[in-house]
Amino acid sequence: MLITSAAFVAYEYVTFRQLTVRNVKILGEAIAANSTAALAFDNPNDAREVLAAFKAQPHVVAARLYLSNGQLIASYPDGAARGPTAQSLRADGYRFEGGLLTGVQPVVQGGHRMGTLYLESDLGEIYEHFQLFVAIGASIMLVCCIAAYLISRRLQELISRPILALATTAQRVSEHRDYSVRATRPQGHEFGILTDAFNHMLTRIEGDQTKLRSQLSRLDLLHRITRATGERHDLPSLFRVVLHNLGEDLPVDFGCMCLYQASAAALSIAVIDPRSAPLAAGLGLTESGQVPIDQNGLARCVAGELVYEPDTREVKFPFPQRFAQAGVHALVIAPLLVENQVFGVLVAARRDPNSFSSADCEFLRQLSEHVALAAHQAQLYGELQRAYDDLRQSQQAIMQQERLRALGEMASGIAHDINNAISPAALYTESLLEREPGLSERARGCLVTIQTAIEDVAETVSRMREFYRPRETEMVLSRVACNRVLEQVINLTRARWSDLPQQRGIVIQLRTEFAEELPQIMGSEGELRDALTNLIFNAVDAMPDGGTLTLRTRLVTSGSRGGDDAARQVHVEVADSGIGMDEETRRRCLEPFYTTKGERGTGLGLAMVYGMVQRHSADLDIDSAVGRGTTVRLIFAAADTVTAPGATRAPLQPLARRLRILLVDDDPMLIKSLRDILEQDGHVVTAADGGQKGIDTFAAALALGTPFSIVITDLGMPYVDGRKVAASVKAASALTPVILLTGWGKRLLAENDIPAHVDRVLSKPPRLAELRAALATLAAPEDPPAALVESA
Amino acid sequence: MGLLRDTATRRLWRRLALLLIAAGLLGAAAPVSEYQLKAVFLFNFAQFVEWPPAAAPRENAPFVIGVLGKDPFGADLDDVVRGETVNAHPLAVARYHNVAEVRDCQILFIAASELAQLEGILAALKGRSILTVTDAEGLTVRGVMIGLIRQDNRIRLRIDLQATKASNLTISSKLLRPAEIVGSGG
Repeated sequence: MLITSAAFVAYEYVTFRQLTVRNVKILGEAIAANSTAALAFDNPNDAREVLAAFKAQPHVVAARLYLSNGQLIASYPDGAARGPTAQSLRADGYRFEGGLLTGVQPVVQGGHRMGTLYLESDLGEIYEHFQLFVAIGASIMLVCCIAAYLISRRLQELISRPILALATTAQRVSEHRDYSVRATRPQGHEFGILTDAFNHMLTRIEGDQTKLRSQLSRLDLLHRITRATGERHDLPSLFRVVLHNLGEDLPVDFGCMCLYQASAAALSIAVIDPRSAPLAAGLGLTESGQVPIDQNGLARCVAGELVYEPDTREVKFPFPQRFAQAGVHALVIAPLLVENQVFGVLVAARRDPNSFSSADCEFLRQLSEHVALAAHQAQLYGELQRAYDDLRQSQQAIMQQERLRALGEMASGIAHDINNAISPAALYTESLLEREPGLSERARGCLVTIQTAIEDVAETVSRMREFYRPRETEMVLSRVACNRVLEQVINLTRARWSDLPQQRGIVIQLRTEFAEELPQIMGSEGELRDALTNLIFNAVDAMPDGGTLTLRTRLVTSGSRGGDDAARQVHVEVADSGIGMDEETRRRCLEPFYTTKGERGTGLGLAMVYGMVQRHSADLDIDSAVGRGTTVRLIFAAADTVTAPGATRAPLQPLARRLRILLVDDDPMLIKSLRDILEQDGHVVTAADGGQKGIDTFAAALALGTPFSIVITDLGMPYVDGRKVAASVKAASALTPVILLTGWGKRLLAENDIPAHVDRVLSKPPRLAELRAALATLAAPEDPPAALVESA
Repeated sequence: MGLLRDTATRRLWRRLALLLIAAGLLGAAAPVSEYQLKAVFLFNFAQFVEWPPAAAPRENAPFVIGVLGKDPFGADLDDVVRGETVNAHPLAVARYHNVAEVRDCQILFIAASELAQLEGILAALKGRSILTVTDAEGLTVRGVMIGLIRQDNRIRLRIDLQATKASNLTISSKLLRPAEIVGSGG
């Protein structure tokens, strides 16, 4: 405004100056025009009169008329001496100088200059005009300022303050990201509307923000749950982690997971969130409890629908009513769907009615999908794991079988050698017992024990094949008196449970509790002995610091069939007071090669026991607890009480006739012992060490006309084995019987693998009785040899 | 010639110097030379009077100031009009001995010597648009349009409007201001 005013003033000033100049000029021109004649005809009076006209113009302070020759003819005011001479006049024109407007106006008539008018006008007019103008401008300005001030005050009240308030609010919102701030609504229509709109916008933003946050947190929760469930493969822990997260972060007051049992039309509660346990108690829901499905929300849910009851008080079905009575009013039941099959439901509830938003429901629905998927995966994983375990087990079994087979091969070799080795011992022991009546009782007892031991060795060796041929049950069942076997075992193992521990200063007390009049059982005495021996060894090993070893037999009559004998059982127990077994060991102790004894153990002891038990169709019980010892119980069915007649074999008498026997073997010890035994029986024995020698000897004898009446050959020999010998013998003399004597004897028998040309297979160590029986049988129809012998 | 002009110029300068001195000393005093002043007046009349087209000088013809009778101006009138123009017509001075000689003339100064024959002169000029001027003193000159009258040491104008009107001459009102008007009733 000031600038405008200044501009106006400047404009006015300039304009007014020009105007003044023009006015003065017009005046000057008029006066000049009027004074032409006065000048032309040199009339000072007239000139003065003309100049007197300036009186009407108070600002014209002086005027003069000069003739063309420069002579002053008149001046105004009359007689004023002041003023320039004609010579000092400046050029024609009007100009401001010295605070005056001076004009030099030529006086011209008819193109001739008659003279000059000089005039002076003060600037009072301008200044007056100007002052007036400035005064008016200033007052207008003042008025405007006041008005502007008043208006601005009013406007500030009306506009600036609400806008500032809005700006402050907006700033606060953006600084603190707090969308709950609201601008105060001012009086006044437009700004009220603006503020309302602003607040409305804030409300919307706040709402969106809240929604966004909650969605983000949901997403995060879903993510966390999904991750957590991804790490779990069993349903209960999976459910627990879901419920835990749900209760913590959604949150819900009650959460549980149920599995659907379509057959029972019921839900069985799998897991209840521990935090909602008090509520669950109020609801009467317990883990592994059942909820029947009737025609209520549960049925809909089981059909695959998410059920939301905003207020359980308004639902008349029993399940929601339970919640209503427990003060839980909002209930969501989400189905767990896998491949369109509901296998369970997720139940979430809150105390406040209508407290689940649609976003909550949607979240629960998505969550239940995830959970279902995870559960399904867990199931699949479980199946996979089981399949894998099965596979691993069968692989292990195959491996073990392979090991057993290798072991069996080895064992059969060992068996062969052992059988060979013990054959002389067996033969001589038997022979001594039979032929030396003068033996003392003690010597006889020792010999019997030796014989038993040898028989056990032979038996043990023969069982080695069972490592690789478990199904071959080649067992000969006989009546066995358990108490007697136990006593034998005690004697056999005395060194182990008594002598060795005592050397280390450990005492193992032996207790025997034998039932009197215990029925016999049907079984293999040797196997039973071995099994019991193994059990006693285990018991001793389980008591490194000493303890009590208890051997017990009992007759147990069970079953409802009263006096029926079939229900009677014989229990044989081996109990120790040792370290006992933990669950894992208890579970696995029967597996072959499972051992807790480290390098000392083979892991075969209990496995063999178990094999024996199975072969006897018996049962095996193990009672064990860590630190309280172990009791192993063998349960056999009692045999009939009727005693089998003639259980003891009468020793076969030696063959009366003398036979020429060819004995082929590569083991000199065996040859010697067999030769001794057979010669004692009166036979003529020729020995050949090796298959080829045997064949040669037989051929030579045949050629000499003194053929052998029978050939006994070993099976396994280097270069030429027993089969070849037999084949050669039969080729030379088809009627000559051949007895194959073998360390593999039982195996051959079992396999029906009796080689061609062999009339009888006898296993090593040979029993005198068997040998005599075989000779008697094979040689019986032939008498001529005796004649031959006699003739020889 | 050059010498003559030099002499004339020197004379003019001398006269101007005298005039200026006089002007400076006397202020609004009377002019130095009466006829000088009257010559200027004669010339000035040409500025204030309008001639009817018929009486105006023809094209390329001079505007003529005539002096009838015994010329009182000497060279003054010639000096004044020399080089001057009126409406693009150069000025010329013509001297007549009698009125019969007066031909194309716009302003005619009737010298005092012709006072006796004035009646006849005016009669001869009657109807012709010639501005007549005289300075004959002492009598009322009837019929002469402008009289130059000596008064208080100044020359005053007396204008006979009747005569000018009769001659179809238009006198500028400006000229009438300083003049004494006679015969206005016509």
